[in-house]
Amino acid sequence: MATVESPASPQLRSGVEPLRAGQGSSFIWRKLHSLLGIVPIGAFLLEHLLSNYEALKGPLAYGNQVKFLNSLPMVRVLEWVFIFLPLLYHGLYGFYIWLRGKSNVVYYPWAGNWMYTIQRYTGLIALAYIIQHVWRQRFTGVMLPENPYYAFHKVQVELSNPWMLAIYVIAMIAICWHFAYGVWLFAAKWGITPGVNARRRFGYVCIALGIGLACLGLAGIFAFVGPWYPSAPIPTP
Amino acid sequence: MAERTVIFEIKRQANPDAPAVWERFEIPWRHGMNVISALMDIAGNPVTADGRQTTPITYDSNCLEEICGSCAMLINGKARMACSALIDNLEQPIRIEPLTKFPLVRDLQVDRSVLFENLKRVKAWVPIDGTYDLGPGPRVYPQQQETNYPLSNCISCTCCMEVCPQFNVETGFVGAATIAQVKLFNNHPTGKVFKEERLRALAGDGGVQECGYAQNCVEACPKQLPLTTAISDIGRDVVVQKVQDWLRS
Ligand code: HEM
Ligand code: SF4
Ligand code: SF4
Ligand code: FES
Repeated sequence: MATVESPASPQLRSGVEPLRAGQGSSFIWRKLHSLLGIVPIGAFLLEHLLSNYEALKGPLAYGNQVKFLNSLPMVRVLEWVFIFLPLLYHGLYGFYIWLRGKSNVVYYPWAGNWMYTIQRYTGLIALAYIIQHVWRQRFTGVMLPENPYYAFHKVQVELSNPWMLAIYVIAMIAICWHFAYGVWLFAAKWGITPGVNARRRFGYVCIALGIGLACLGLAGIFAFVGPWYPSAPIPTP
Repeated sequence: MAERTVIFEIKRQANPDAPAVWERFEIPWRHGMNVISALMDIAGNPVTADGRQTTPITYDSNCLEEICGSCAMLINGKARMACSALIDNLEQPIRIEPLTKFPLVRDLQVDRSVLFENLKRVKAWVPIDGTYDLGPGPRVYPQQQETNYPLSNCISCTCCMEVCPQFNVETGFVGAATIAQVKLFNNHPTGKVFKEERLRALAGDGGVQECGYAQNCVEACPKQLPLTTAISDIGRDVVVQKVQDWLRS
């Protein structure tokens, strides 16, 4: 029988905490993460893939594009405010989101759950790839802002290593996947596509977006390793 | 011919601090039996498959028709309602475990009061109490009923929370069920008096932003609530509310 000494109700472990209604600031940080994935990061991804596509027109055209981008007003400020800092924030906070989730796709192998998991791995690939890419192409070696016409050569040397080429191809696909599904996620979470049919149809749009971007990006990569400009010399404008 | 039997493997735990042990049971097959009726059979003769006397298994259940929401458990690894889990549709041995995300009481019984607490924190009710008769409520048109009825089907079983990768002790996420109820009561002509408060509540830590849109909730919900649609709609409403609050502050 339950007495004061031996209460009938057992001591329970604490479980998941209830909602902290109206408390804290995670809402703003999480929404910022989500928004930054679209603008400026997604917008920059588009610009970057389009710029790299210029490489198909040859070393000179590519150099001209690099020169044009570096002639934008306050380009160093733009670079930090619209590219590096948002990427760093989205990447690190994304990693933090990942750590706090408890993946269960082995028990519930449903499509949305797979996509949730893949969004995390493709994000990690993106983060690792972007760090080495920015370090090796932007901050070390020949400085492209001052020597824009070395751009084609610099990338070509990098991609002459088959391992590096493989890394670029894998990262390109992973990032395009991450962005395309990210656009879908954004529309779903911000209530742009609340309807089931709207989400399905927008899913097709995002698949097309992902495939289109990946093709664009891979075409840019193959400009450097394809038969068109082997061992291209530094162009003189 | 030998009598047809059903084999169960049930995860048991005498109290929250006791070690978990698996027990195997073999019971006679009956026509149309489900997991709860099998647990009742075991309670009638609590003997394991190897003939050892044991205690009846503790579990929650009530209505036996998937309407009270109390009998959620893991059946062959998946969260679902035990009373509507027909034995003939399950692979044997049937593995039964308690839900994993809620404090364990004993055997298959867990404490799911976090959902009730969450519903209170978003004021998931229609305020009609007062010192005088408020008269009849405003009319709800059939078009609104079409949207609201599916949301009103929630049985608070917590399956949607159990299967959600974001519902865990790290995030303290509120879970899909509460978000769906916010949509339901915000749609209600009288309930919407709390609309702004509910939306602000859901922007707190553990609010709607924690959803990673894995869509497990909508797959698992035994009552087919349109949970992802509710998350989408409420996600937008919360953003709009926060922007308005900010502009008007
Ligand atoms: C090429 C760079 C990247 C782009 C264009 C990008 C874009 C996006 C977009 C648009 C979203 C959807 C936002 C939302 O969930 O509402 C998203 C989500 C996400 N991103 Fe990125 N991202 C990039 C890099 C990264 C990196 C480096 C990480 C780090 C691991 C990352 C981790 C995540 C995670 C975890 C989510 C899902 C958040 C959730 O489910 O709530 N992303 N990303
Ligand atoms: S969509 Fe996924 S993350 Fe969001 S509540 Fe449902 S199961 Fe959880
Ligand atoms: S929304 Fe569905 S799964 Fe979640 S508690 Fe309600 S009935 Fe159960
Ligand atoms: S006993 Fe009521 S839902 Fe299963």
